[in-house]
Order: sequence, then structure tokens, then C-alpha cells
Amino acid sequence: MGEFIIHDCTLLTRTSGVPPVFNLRELRERLATCGRNVLYHHFCETPLVPCFDNPDYSNDFAAWALMQLGDRVLAERLGIINPYIFPDLENLREQVLEVLDERLSEVHLVPSCQPGGEFFFTEAVTVVFDTGMRAASPDRLPEAIGKMSNGSIYYHFLEARRREPVGIDDFSAWLAGFAGQEAWCAALQTVDFSFFTLTELRDELVRLLQNGGAS
Amino acid sequence: MTKLLSAYQGVVNETVISQLRQLGSRLTGRSVVHVNSTREGGGVAEILDWMILLMRDVGLDAHWEVITGNSDFFSVTKKIHNGLQGFPVNISKREWQIYREVNEENAVRLRPILKEADLVVIHDPQPAGLLGLCPDRQGKWIWRAHIDVSRPARSVWRELLPFVSGYDASIFSMSQFAQPLPHPQFLIPPSIDPMSPKNMELDPEELDSVRHQYNLAPDKPLLVQISRFDRFKDPLGVVAAYRLVRAIQPVQLVLAGGGATDDPEGKEVLDEVLEAAAGDPDIHVLLLPPDAHRTINALQRLADIVIQKSTREGFGLTVTEGLWKGKPVIGGDTGGIRLQLVNYHTGFLVNTAEGAAHRIRFLLHHESLRNKMGIKAREFVREHFLLTRQLREYLTLFHILSSGVDSSAIYI
Repeated sequence: MGEFIIHDCTLLTRTSGVPPVFNLRELRERLATCGRNVLYHHFCETPLVPCFDNPDYSNDFAAWALMQLGDRVLAERLGIINPYIFPDLENLREQVLEVLDERLSEVHLVPSCQPGGEFFFTEAVTVVFDTGMRAASPDRLPEAIGKMSNGSIYYHFLEARRREPVGIDDFSAWLAGFAGQEAWCAALQTVDFSFFTLTELRDELVRLLQNGGAS
Repeated sequence: MTKLLSAYQGVVNETVISQLRQLGSRLTGRSVVHVNSTREGGGVAEILDWMILLMRDVGLDAHWEVITGNSDFFSVTKKIHNGLQGFPVNISKREWQIYREVNEENAVRLRPILKEADLVVIHDPQPAGLLGLCPDRQGKWIWRAHIDVSRPARSVWRELLPFVSGYDASIFSMSQFAQPLPHPQFLIPPSIDPMSPKNMELDPEELDSVRHQYNLAPDKPLLVQISRFDRFKDPLGVVAAYRLVRAIQPVQLVLAGGGATDDPEGKEVLDEVLEAAAGDPDIHVLLLPPDAHRTINALQRLADIVIQKSTREGFGLTVTEGLWKGKPVIGGDTGGIRLQLVNYHTGFLVNTAEGAAHRIRFLLHHESLRNKMGIKAREFVREHFLLTRQLREYLTLFHILSSGVDSSAIYI
């Protein structure tokens, strides 16, 4: 197994061209047709966006449902969706539409926001580069992670799940190529990253690995 | 003056500096020209002051050019500026002609540097006409709108559109501020410089001196709003909130701002505030000079709670300034303030004087929570609203445009 190549990434948000929405029905319509990158951005790229990470929900739709529509039921249902378990973004879209349709069938009045509270659909472009840094062997990984930028943590631990092998972070995928690293791999897969900022996530990964995989 | 990225070591994590150097190293030698309409005064000049130096420090060949114009031109561009922000203005054909002519005069002077540049960033509407006057340009041109153009006066936007639609990309501070354009529109929120006089650390002696200078009681909770005397900043609402709190517990209020005497409406609002404050020794209305950055810094640091009770706001960078000083902020539920304040985490969003009073009392009552929110607020700014983030996003944009690739992921 070769050395771990440390990449970094930076993200820049852009408008998507999808008109903003004021109520739940419009949200359903736009989500049915918006680009996959829009969907991905609002579910997965929020940790890199310069905005306060919503402490309750890590995807933008759940946060909007709570804060602007005032619909706690919808926020709870959207907030629990883990975008990384879906093999394809279209499967994620189906699940989200299912939740919205269910909610629309329950409410007597379509939840709407106040003027100024509309949801703006955005997407992002990510620039990825090789940092030139390497972890030569598994025992060097904790130290290497400790020196990573937030962009590297995002790229290797979150965005990696979108790449082959799908659903697995880069650290686990690399460690799996070495004998005797099962405890670390298992520990990494138990990290509930939804409630960490990227800085906190980096510290947590280092802590886990330094403890030999014990939480 | 030199400003180097290494000066920020310790304020931000080492990885942040390293990432910027890596991004810059892949753009080494690329020429970038920023163009705006003033070298001094105003937020754009403040940004360019540091950005040019830091871009050079990471390897770019960065330049800053300023267009020149007569008073007629700046009267027209002021009207354009107001019109873009939604105020009804009437700009005659002759005035648009002045706009074009001054851009042409500047194009003659600037064309040699602009046409050779790899990247050109044109700030705000004043120099926007330069694009069409450099037909043999070689680089990518970006229009950076620092203002909210979401609801412009239609006649103004219709006239300006041909000048800006030909750019390769534009930048807005927030989605809410953008307009549909036939090119990619990127979103880069503003940021603060943690080393500037307005935000740098201050000695306790300096804080004591400011406290003494303005007769602020050391043992009475202090509320501070730093803002122009403008109706949209709702200073009278802040006084009303203060009075509701004052009825329950001792508290003092500072309303500090500058420049009101130049602005007829500002003077009117200031007079109303002074009248509302008359006879109350615990309300301090301070009219500060434009360069009173350290005083503003000290007042924010002396505050127990920072207030920005705007009823309409652009981005509201004073909120970020308050958060950076480790203070929870009570802000109006509007504009960019919503991006920065989350109830119980970095502060509170409020809609009324009553709401502000309620949250002030809540925070004064919960000292431990207030301190925890202050710590969280400062870390939030460190992560997202320092100039290092803004520089990173500009460098990212330069990579995106230089790659010529239209993809959601670009490998460099």
C-alpha cells in the first residue's frame, strides 16, 4: 500500500439560477427539478460555507423549515436525513420529495416564510489540489490529520464518500489496505460527523486514532 | 506599508496560512488588476488596502488602479449607486453620457495595463464601463458588486445591464443581493481584518482610558450600538429597549456613530436621538470622527452586549466586529445579520424594541451563558469572517476562471 496523499480543497458558492422559494409547495417544485449539485451543496457542503452551522440541523432545508417556515415537524424529518447513505443523489432527491409530499398532505395551510426569509438555492465549485504532504504509514496518520486544513478534512472524510469506493472516507479506505488496522477503521466509521464543525471533527479524528480506535 | 500573511499567524491556524500559500503558489506571476473609484475612504478601499498586499505576498502580481472623474461624474455614480439600492432616482441621457465619457477617458489611461492583465476585478458600478472599452483584453474580467442590487430602480438597472453583462463572472456578498446575469455569479461575503485598529487587541489601560473619557461607569452593565445615525439602524428603538431594561435594573447605553452632520437626514435622526436621550446620564450619544477606529474598538470591548438593531441592513459587518470581540450580539432580524446570529449560540435576532429588551435582560441575567456565547462567537468569526477567508475565496475564483473548465470540481 502506498503513502496517503494529502489533498486540500476550497469551495466557492455561486447562485444556481433556481428562483428562490417562499413556501413549502414551491420548495417541493424546485427540489424536483434543481441540479444535482444544488441538492448536494445544501445537504453536504454546508460545513465549508461561511455561515453559522445550524446547531440543530446540518442541512439547509431542515434549517430553513425550522427557522423560516416555523415547521418543526418538517425540520425534524428533513434534519435526520443522512445524505451519505444514498448510492446516488437521485435517491436522495426521491427521499426528500417523499418527506415534502407527506408533509404537504398533512398541513391545512401551506407553510410560508415572511418576506426576506425566502430560501435561495445555491451551488458550489470546489478547487482540489495536492498539498505535497504525505502520511507514509498508518502510525503517521494521526499527526498528519492534526495538521490538515478544514478543506482537507472535508475532502478526505466527507466528500470522499461520494467518490469510489462510495460511502467510505479516504482514511478508512487507505487503512483497509494494511493488516491490523481494523480497530481504527471501525472507529472512524462510528464518528457522527453531523454535529461537528470541521475543526472539531479534525480534533475528534486525531483523538480517536491516538486512542487506538477506542472512543 | 507592508502587510504579510505571516502577521496573521497565531490569529488563524497555521493550516489556513499554508492553504493560502498553496493556492497562491499555483497562480504565481499571474497579473491581477483591481479597479475602483477611490483610494481612501469607504469599505472597498479598506478591502483593497490589505488585499493587494496579501495577494502579492502569496505570489500574484497584484495592482490597484483608481479611476478619476469630475464632480459631475461622481454625482451621476452616486445616483446610480442609490438607484441600484432601490431608491427612486432619475438619471438623464446626458448624465449617462457623462458616465460613458469618463469611463472612456479612464480607459485611455488604463487600457495598457488592463488588456494585458490575466485577471481584472472591477469594483462597483463606477468603473463598470471599462470592460466594453477594452475589446482586445486577454484575461478574465470580474464585476464585484459590493452593494445590494436585488431590488434596483428598474430604469437604472436597465441602463447599467449592458455594461456588466459582458463580464466573465460577477461577485455578490450574498444570494439575496444578486441579480440574474448571463454569467456565473459567485458569492463572497465581506470580512474583517483582525489586525486593523478597529479590531486589534487593546491594552486594558486603553480600555480604561476610553471608559474614563466617556464617563462610563465600570460597575454598570454596558450596551453598545455602533452605527451611523440612520433610521434603518433604529437608534430610537435601541433607546426604547434600553428604557424597558432600565425599568428593571441599572444599565448604561452608548450609541456611537459618525458622519451625521454631512447628511441632512442623519442630522435629523441624531437630533431625535439626542432628544430621546435628554436628561438621562446613562445614555451616551457619541458623534465620533471617521478615524475613531480604536475608540470604536474599545467601546465594543467594554460592552457587555453589542447591539445592531437594524430594521434594514446590508451585510452588517458591525455584528462580526462585535462577535470577534467575544460579545453576544442582539441584532435585527434582517439582511446579513441573519447569517451571523443564531439564537442562544452567537446572539439573538429580534424584531422589536420589546424583543431586544427581553434578550438584553436574558443575557444580563445569564452571565455564564453570555460568556460561553462570546467564546463561540469569536471562534465563529475566526472560522468564517476574517480576511483570510475572503482572500481564499478570491484565489479560488481566480483558479476557477483560469481553468476554463465548467465543472463543480476543478483539479489544479
